[in-house]
Amino acid sequence: MLRTTILLAGLLALTGGILPASTSNAKRPATTPGHHVHVIVIDQMQYGPMPTDVHAGDIIEWANKDILEHSATARDGHFDVDLKPGTSGRITATAGTLAFFCKFHPTMTGTLVVK
Amino acid sequence: MNKPLLALALAFGIASVASVQAQTPPAASPAPAINDAQIAHIAYTAGVIDVTAAKQALQRSHNRAVRAFAEEMQRDHTAVNEQALALVKKLGVTPQDNPTSQSLASGAADEQKKLATLSGSAYDKAYVDNEVAYHKTVNGALSGTLIPSAQNAELKSLLETGLKLFQSHQMHAEHLAQSLK
Repeated sequence: MLRTTILLAGLLALTGGILPASTSNAKRPATTPGHHVHVIVIDQMQYGPMPTDVHAGDIIEWANKDILEHSATARDGHFDVDLKPGTSGRITATAGTLAFFCKFHPTMTGTLVVK
Repeated sequence: MNKPLLALALAFGIASVASVQAQTPPAASPAPAINDAQIAHIAYTAGVIDVTAAKQALQRSHNRAVRAFAEEMQRDHTAVNEQALALVKKLGVTPQDNPTSQSLASGAADEQKKLATLSGSAYDKAYVDNEVAYHKTVNGALSGTLIPSAQNAELKSLLETGLKLFQSHQMHAEHLAQSLK
């Protein structure tokens, strides 16, 4: 019984079954020392609070906790991250004002200032 | 208010009365309280109606913004209904047909017939105006009757998520209606 449990746990670990369900459909660049990851949570048709003190080179991650598909799509066309329910996606921030919206729900908008 | 929406409002009014009666002392012949199985059926029916309307819009409209809105309605209401079906299955609840669902379905069928006689910008305007009114009525029913009456916490939570979603739809529909004037 114990052996079966250990085998099962091993299999789950190998297949990712006990890892977080979050997947990414944007590139996940390795964070370099000094660069931070800023997470914007999406839930109930809203982008959560915008992170402050974001610097060029930092990682912006959108985590979709909603039951619907969303996106983080740049107004200027620089990025378009599709976010299935329960997934996350990342970009590397560049200096300036990042205005984005959900291409599936145009009433969802966000603006982020990157120093 | 047009006839189908009046029927819909009346239908939800009946549900509201049933809900209130459930909390008052038993009368001589009390109306049955709205239960979770009926609430699930009403919410599911409301979603199906909007998916059907969206499909009709995708067949009839050539307006890019109207088509994008219809695609959003089809995608979102289908996704929420899939969640609702998964939840009732998990809870072992069988959605129960009821007069409110029946009134909703019959009102929507009337609206579909009316919209089918229109085309071009007249169709676009009528479809979007109806979407504004429909979401307003459904949102009122969700916040005023269905959510307060739901007994199961998971069902209540899904309805609350649905309300946020449909409020966003209503806002989108209102913006779209303004742009079509």
